[in-house]
Amino acid sequence: MALLETDGLTKSFGALTAVNGVSLRIEAGKLHSIIGPNGAGKTTLFNLLTGTFPPTSGTIVFDGKDITGTPAARIAHLGLARSYQRTTVFPAFSLLDNVWVAAFATSRPWKGLLFKNAHEYPQVVERARAALSDVGLLSKAEVPAKQISHGELRQLELAIALAAAPRVLLLDEPAAGLSPDETRKMVALVRALKGRYTIVLIEHKIDIIMSVSDRISVMHFGSLIAEGTPEEIQRNPEVRRAYLGGVAA
Amino acid sequence: MRTLLLIVISILLLPLVVRPAIASEIWIFAIFGLALNLLLGYTGMLSFGQSTFFGSAAYVAGWLLKHYGINVFAALGVGVGVGALSALLVGYLCVQRSGLYFIMLTFALNQLFYFIAYQWTSVTGGEDGMPGIPRPSVLGLSIQESYWYYAFISLLFLLSLWAMKRIVESPLGKILQAIRENEVRAEAVGYDVPRFKLLAFVIAGAFSGLAGVLYAMLFGIVPLEAIGFVVSGNVVFATLIGGSGSLYGPIIGSFVFIWLSESVSTMWARWPLLLGVAFVIVVLFLRGGVVEAWTRFWTWRSSKQTG
Repeated sequence: MALLETDGLTKSFGALTAVNGVSLRIEAGKLHSIIGPNGAGKTTLFNLLTGTFPPTSGTIVFDGKDITGTPAARIAHLGLARSYQRTTVFPAFSLLDNVWVAAFATSRPWKGLLFKNAHEYPQVVERARAALSDVGLLSKAEVPAKQISHGELRQLELAIALAAAPRVLLLDEPAAGLSPDETRKMVALVRALKGRYTIVLIEHKIDIIMSVSDRISVMHFGSLIAEGTPEEIQRNPEVRRAYLGGVAA
Repeated sequence: MRTLLLIVISILLLPLVVRPAIASEIWIFAIFGLALNLLLGYTGMLSFGQSTFFGSAAYVAGWLLKHYGINVFAALGVGVGVGALSALLVGYLCVQRSGLYFIMLTFALNQLFYFIAYQWTSVTGGEDGMPGIPRPSVLGLSIQESYWYYAFISLLFLLSLWAMKRIVESPLGKILQAIRENEVRAEAVGYDVPRFKLLAFVIAGAFSGLAGVLYAMLFGIVPLEAIGFVVSGNVVFATLIGGSGSLYGPIIGSFVFIWLSESVSTMWARWPLLLGVAFVIVVLFLRGGVVEAWTRFWTWRSSKQTG
């Protein structure tokens, strides 16, 4: 059964239809990639899935429940967590506090919200440290986020999503702007997360996609034009024309 | 611990330097500054209408003190309650907006409250203010004498500081700072941002209300200015000069602001010029206010010693 499913999902901004009738099925435990040229609507699709804005039409079903139009703050509590293409962290906070905030949000009960010291939540701290450890940043737990490198920021970006203990991870170009060396590290990281979470991955770097994905959906001008295993996608003539274009043709 | 000691020493020494009324005003204004800084420094919301809650609490508690002779604790409770309630109302209308719209809305609603106070002369006395507010005794101890009232205010200030410290170090404090740092991400990790902003607003309103009642009992009158935009501006000013980045900044700001306005103003009528210069310096070079100047000075000194 699909854990996350969309049906005819459409989002228009005035005359521009950024996402056009997208029907996706994300199977539980799989790594499902979404590829497509710049402006294909991949990030807009993520914004719809995480409730940044409601769709113009269509539905989103998560774990059998219709969650269409659920606001962003509620989505995290349902078990969907995302990372951003453009690094979106809490700059003045230490790395630990960055993930602590995300871990606390989905921990309940919030007893002592107003007067208990933030450090007196051992389970939250433990979860936050585990998330940092997952991305290999635990040794820098006390360093402010504004002092770490871009590569580390991308890892932190991922850790914040992990700290929410999600069921589905939506990763928006985790390797954006990384050096080849850092990219290899990030790929290893994503590979390590595979199986532990259901992952939806947006990525530009085609070699990454082909090596880690279970399934791939191809977007072009807001619509899905193909879906299949990495081998099927590589063979698909329409995909080669639209996306792989000049490189492979 | 050292900071606390420093504050207690200042509380003890201050009445030796300035008149008790001014010393009292400094700590009252410091409570008010703590409240504003929860919004400005911790949540990143510039409320330009904080006197709404200060003034409303002063009027309502003042009126009850004057006409019904309620006791001190009831008056403080009413002040805190009115502050929180009026902040709930104003906050509800404001927190959905952000940036300049938020600031202008807090300002506009402040003006609305001001004109209500201005027009409703039968209760507020309009331009003449609401005089004749008594200062009832505390558990049988009279606080009529200015030093006793100073002690009472100091105690409430310490209590407020303790409470505010607890709040900013609590999960709520972290969440508010997360909103300041990155509202989009705070929302995405699962916080209903407008609701947390409203909560911050209500807490700040409660503290502002406390300051308002203490102010009314200090001078025995609620002047119309207590609910005007100048007071709203002053508390922003004082907080920025002291340093909005730290819990203690507004306390220093309050000291500088009240002390300047009370002592220098008698010598030099154009004293706000000084404040203007101080403000420009803070905005251009010292975003962290006096607190930042202090830490910079010490790092500079220690680097000179080691180097």
